[in-house]
This record gives sequence, C-alpha cells and structure tokens, in this order.
Amino acid sequence: MTVRTLLPASATPDIGGHPWSAKADKIQSATGILLGCFLLAHLHFESSILLGKQAFYQVVQILEGGMFSETGHGFPIVTQIFSMLILLVVILHAAVALRRFPVQIGQWRALRRHMNVIKHKDSHAWFWQLVTGFILFFLAPVHIFTMITNPEIGPHLSAERVYHANAWLLYALLLPAVVIHAMIGLYRVAVKWGITANRSGLRKLAKVMIIYLITIGVFSLVSYIYIGHGLSLPIEPYVPTGH
Amino acid sequence: MNLIETKGRSLTFNIFRYDPQEAGDKPKMVKYQIEETPGMTVFIALNMLREHQDTSLQFDFVCRAGICGSCAMVINGLPTLACRTLTKNYPKGEITLMPLPGFELIGDLSVNTGKFMRELAERLKLWLHPMSEDADVHRLETPMSPQEAAKLYELDRCVECGVCVSACATKQMRESFVGAVGMMKLARFELDSRDSRTTEDFYHVIGNQDGVFGCMTLLGCQDNCPKDLPHMQQIAYLRRKMAMAQF
Ligand code: HEM
Ligand code: SF4
Ligand code: FES
Repeated sequence: MTVRTLLPASATPDIGGHPWSAKADKIQSATGILLGCFLLAHLHFESSILLGKQAFYQVVQILEGGMFSETGHGFPIVTQIFSMLILLVVILHAAVALRRFPVQIGQWRALRRHMNVIKHKDSHAWFWQLVTGFILFFLAPVHIFTMITNPEIGPHLSAERVYHANAWLLYALLLPAVVIHAMIGLYRVAVKWGITANRSGLRKLAKVMIIYLITIGVFSLVSYIYIGHGLSLPIEPYVPTGH
Repeated sequence: MNLIETKGRSLTFNIFRYDPQEAGDKPKMVKYQIEETPGMTVFIALNMLREHQDTSLQFDFVCRAGICGSCAMVINGLPTLACRTLTKNYPKGEITLMPLPGFELIGDLSVNTGKFMRELAERLKLWLHPMSEDADVHRLETPMSPQEAAKLYELDRCVECGVCVSACATKQMRESFVGAVGMMKLARFELDSRDSRTTEDFYHVIGNQDGVFGCMTLLGCQDNCPKDLPHMQQIAYLRRKMAMAQF
C-alpha cells in the first residue's frame, strides 16, 4: 500500500469502505457458527455419562480414534490436537468479536443509559452475550489449556478432574456462560445475515436450547461429582465390563 | 354521549424538563395531573397541559396523524409517535415521557432530528444518481415495473421520525455509526433500477465499521419503527451484498 492509496480513507474518516470490515464480519460469524456447532456436539458427548459409565467410555474411545488401534483404546493426543484447533478458533473469534466491546467508559455508560431508558428485549439479549463473552474470554482458554496439558478423559479420570481437582467450580461458571453466549449468538447470526425471517420462532428455539443444554450439563456435572465422591485417590481408570 | 361518560380517570404524566438555553437549568422530571378524555392521545394530552398548566412545555408536532414524524418521544420506555399513542393503552394511568436519546436537545421533549437527517443524507448521498443517458431531459424515461415501484414505495414510507436511531444501542455507543434509517434509505436506492451507483460505490459509503458492518443486529430499529419498515430484512440484504463485494 502506498501513501496515495491510504490517504483518501484517512482524510475522510466517516466515508470510505474498508475491505477488512467485510472480512472481519464474515470471520466473526463463521467462527461463531463453528464454535456454536462444536458446543452442541460437545455437550451431548459429555452428557453421555448420564447413560452410564460404559456409554461415556465408548463415546470417548470412538472420538479418540479407538478404531485405529489394536487394543480398541483411543489416543489422548487426538484430544490434544483437537483442543489446539478449538483454541485457535476461539482466539480468532475473540480477536474479531473484541471490536464490539464498549471499550471506553463512555460507551459502557451509553449502553447502560440506553438500557435504562429504552425497553427492548433483543438489546438486552445482546448485553448478556457481551457479558458472557467477556467471561468466556477468561474461562474458555483455562478449560482448553487443561485439555491440552491433561488430555486423559474417561468416567473415572474425568470424575477425578471434576471432583478431586475441583474443576467443577470452573465448569459451573463456564456452562451457563458458554450456553447463553452461543445460543444468543447463533440466533443473531441467523437474523443478521437474513437466513430466516421467522424471528419469533428462532428466539423461542434459542430459549428452549439454553434451558435444555444447561439442564443436561448440570445433571452430568452432578453425576461426575457423585462418581468422584465415591472414588478414593489414587484413581484407577475405569475398566469396561465384558473385557 | 352523556356527560358522565366523558368524565375520565386522572392521568399522571411524568415529563422530562430541561431547557439548555436557560442558564442554570438542570434536567428534572416533573409530574402533571390531567383528566382523560375519550380517544385521547399523548399528543392531545401534551397540548392540554401546555394550554392549561404550563405554557413553557416544549414538544414538537405538525400533522398529528403519524405522517410528519415530528412528535416522536420515549413513552414509558418505548420510542414512538406521540400523536399515534392512545392514553387508554396505559391501564395504570401513569405515563413517563422522555425526549428521544441521541439527538441534539432543543428543550424538554423537543429534539433536532431535522439536522441529523440532513447530515445523514449528505453523508450517504441519499438521492437518486441517474444513469448518464437519463440526464438527457428530452429522452423518455424507461418505465419502471409495477413490482419494483411498489417495493420502492414501501421503503419510501419512512417519516424520518428518528425512532430507529434512538432505539439503537449501537448508535448510542458509537456516535459515528450511520444507524438504521440511513441504511434503509440507501438500500432503497440500491434497489432502484434508475440509480447508477454500483455495489463498489455503495461499499465505499457503508462498507466499514460505521456502516453496515458496525450493525450488531440488536433490532431496536425493526421493533420500534412506527411505520413498520423492514429494517432487519434491508440491513441483512445490504450486509450480504456488501460482504459478497469483498473476498
Ligand atoms: C468458546 C465458545 C464461544 C462460542 C460458542 C461463541 C459463539 C458466538 C456466536 C455464534 C456469535 C455470533 C456471531 C455473529 O454475530 O456474527 C458470537 C458473537 C460474539 N462473541 Fe462469541 N463465542 C465463543 C467465545 C467467545 C469469546 C471467548 C469471546 C470474548 C472475546 C466472545 C465474544 C463475542 C462477542 C462480543 C460477540 C458479539 C459480536 C456481535 O454482536 O456482533 N465469544 N459468539
Ligand atoms: S425508518 Fe421508521 S423509525 Fe426510522 S426514521 Fe423512518 S419511520 Fe422513523
Ligand atoms: S405530529 Fe406528525 S407524526 Fe405525530
């Protein structure tokens, strides 16, 4: 880029299109959809503990690529690699979404003042997306880093993490934050690009999904705590019956 | 109608009062009581208040029929036209009136939407840019299809009341953001077959963080516009169009 190509846009700050504006918006939506869909799958896999230790064990073996090993056991490195990819997507998403944060105190006050004067549901929903996004900025990387450094997953190993290593505290905060953020986010992607005109139906779906996902999440968290409570240290990995 | 029927309930108005022209004046909320009459609108009530209780009360109106867009204000938390708001819709009989946020305050409930709309039109060039051959006045214009005309007419119903600007939290946080009314109007020219501007020309005007990519889809515009204009659809259309223009 030369000075000549840069000058017009900077000389008239309020006009002039910027190619990165379109790119950033597309990246934000694409990474948002990717993370949202991943979350939907992730919470269901993780909740297979509600069907018993055996079910969860099998889900883990399949996802860790157990079919490619002679013993039928998966490779934890699959979890590590996948976690790194997700971390990359989260970083990309956060980098573009941070543009939306009211970074100046004046902007924050304007937002709060507006919410006090004007009653509007979707603006309030965005506010919660903002707050949960901020929380996720700190909590999501902690969770993902743990999975990169300690990728061992299993009915007993996960219960050890949740109960004995006190990860339940992290999960209890992360679960509602990520579910609220992602479901409002997916709703927003659909309306912002005009994917559907049925807004009220979509809004109901988002609400139902928030309640549903938090419910299965809380129940699985409780069952991990329960399993962990019944185990004594050092933890023996779960051995499936019939092997 | 007999007299007993017309004797209405007592309404309480809580009105924002502040005159920036008056030295030492501070913003405050002032309470007024007024007796409700059949078919009373907030606009009628304000006129009665000004006539009988406080001649200094400032607010705007012209058409009192939802056409001129002058009387927009925030009524119990919802920005809308005062002349189209019936007092009987408030069962508690308590009505709080605030000026539209985000505009220059003239005084009390009166804001300068006109200045905003003029600056917006200049910034976005909200007028028809004819094709070069149409500049010839001796040439007959190509007729427009009735479908296209109907579509454009639908978007031309905007009364420039400013409600969509006030209802937008994004606009309140970022002064330089164009707001919904500007994008609605620009989309109107984008759809007009007589307009010579290309996608690149439009991208140059709104393809940035202050334009369509600054919109966070909070939809305060769509949900409050007293003319029920399709903001959500139009902005999404522009967003897709502008996003496709850049790879
Ligand atoms: C890790 C799981 C996450 C998921 C599943 C997720 C999902 C989404 C989705 C689907 C959207 C809508 C995208 C759009 O409007 O184009 C979104 C928007 C947003 N995300 Fe996330 N996100 C995650 C993490 C984060 C993090 C860590 C941050 C912190 C910086 C963040 C901040 C935001 C913000 C501020 C928006 C709103 C942007 C706007 O309104 O235009 N998100 N997210
Ligand atoms: S688009 Fe609707 S809310 Fe906005 S100025 Fe026009 S009539 Fe008013
Ligand atoms: S007075 Fe004209 S729109 Fe209300």
